[in-house]
Amino acid sequence: ALLAGSRLLKGYRGGHVVIRFALGGCTNRPFFRIVAAHSRRARDGKYLEQLGCLDPLPNAHGERVAGLNLERLRHWLGCGAQLSRPAEKLLGLAGFLPLHPMTVTGAERLRRRAREVAAPPAAGSSGAGDAP
Amino acid sequence: MAALGARGSAAAPARLSRVVRALWGWRARRGLGQDAGAADEGEAARPAFADEAVQTLLRRMTGLDLQKVFRPVKTELKPPKYKLMTEAQLEEATRKAIEEAKEKLIMPPVLNEREPIDDVLAEDKFLEGTETTKYVFTDLTYSIPHRERFIVVREPNGVLRKATWEERDRMIQIFFPKEGRRVIPPVVFKDEHLVTVFQQDRHEDILNRCIAQFEPDSPDYIRVHHRTYDDIEKHAKYDLLRSTRHFGGMVWYLVNRKKTDGLLTDMIHRDLLDDATSLITLYHMLHPECQSAKEAKERKLQGVDLIKVFVKTESQKEGYIQLALEAYEEAMATSTAS
Repeated sequence: ALLAGSRLLKGYRGGHVVIRFALGGCTNRPFFRIVAAHSRRARDGKYLEQLGCLDPLPNAHGERVAGLNLERLRHWLGCGAQLSRPAEKLLGLAGFLPLHPMTVTGAERLRRRAREVAAPPAAGSSGAGDAP
Repeated sequence: MAALGARGSAAAPARLSRVVRALWGWRARRGLGQDAGAADEGEAARPAFADEAVQTLLRRMTGLDLQKVFRPVKTELKPPKYKLMTEAQLEEATRKAIEEAKEKLIMPPVLNEREPIDDVLAEDKFLEGTETTKYVFTDLTYSIPHRERFIVVREPNGVLRKATWEERDRMIQIFFPKEGRRVIPPVVFKDEHLVTVFQQDRHEDILNRCIAQFEPDSPDYIRVHHRTYDDIEKHAKYDLLRSTRHFGGMVWYLVNRKKTDGLLTDMIHRDLLDDATSLITLYHMLHPECQSAKEAKERKLQGVDLIKVFVKTESQKEGYIQLALEAYEEAMATSTAS
């Protein structure tokens, strides 16, 4: 329906294709769809293609289920799509991309905080950082 | 009307073999047969489940009772439709029914149990403690076969490993659901509940459900099938599976474990001498070093003599089979005399 002022065909100035998470589900029950969309679109709005899904809550077997359509992902990455940071981290965990540096840094920070809580810095021993 | 009782009538073997290859093609390869329960017999010449000769024998023994194959499945009630046909049309319809029955009687494959997967792709020990639950990643590419799909698990201790077979089956059922299969296998397949099913004589139903639910090489599939066959053999309920697609698998299992006496007795009681000879031929193919096999080969026995030699040398329940044979011969004598 190409009426004047129609909202269906949106033209943007600038912007690029991103692969990111679109949030769905209900209250206290999130569900992410891994989606290739224009960067200027709403987070849950019209997308180009759905490339997978992620259920952040663990199921009856204690696992968080994620599906990734790797073939289409490769296609969009080949077309020059960018990734959002959570998408990069997830793909790093999956093994499709190398591990994201922030994942490593996050793990180190967590461990340092746990060490500081457990052994309060009374003794002046230098906390040597873990070298992975 | 003679066509109704005819087994092994001229059907198109080429079309059937194409169908078989399409359904079970990648599995029906030589060398994937199930081991005998006891020791290993000879290596190269050992017949497998999928060999043509073995399949012919098993198919002959399965029989083709049209009344049983096309017995009513529990669908919604519709009044029966009657057609008026000439003799030629009736023969044509019977021929088509026999072809369809042959397709329904294609035997599901008998495979060895699958090896468990434990393959670690990456070890990142510094990720320990960041998460509390594991991630399971499934590759959703549509065009790859399920056996080659990548399903990996990232454990909370940072190890990235390939998923186990149970996890694989579950994930594939979640994303690519197959009809008749549940994500979590139903409780009826546990041993304590199988007993109840067997008491209600529903062996065929549980085997059909098992084929829908599990892969042929999964340990659950093999366990359910073996329990069913053992129960049938214990209570001599062989007729439940005759003219179904499970009969071949049952005969294969029994012959491999040399428990053929009950089946032989049952066949002789029902006057199925041809089936009995096929059974003994199969036994000789699988165990060529046993005494009755050697005798049969050197003396080239046929029919009742073959059965008698087999009974004398190999069977445990000689008495029963001798009785059954004598009863059969008496019946033959009286029928030919009268």
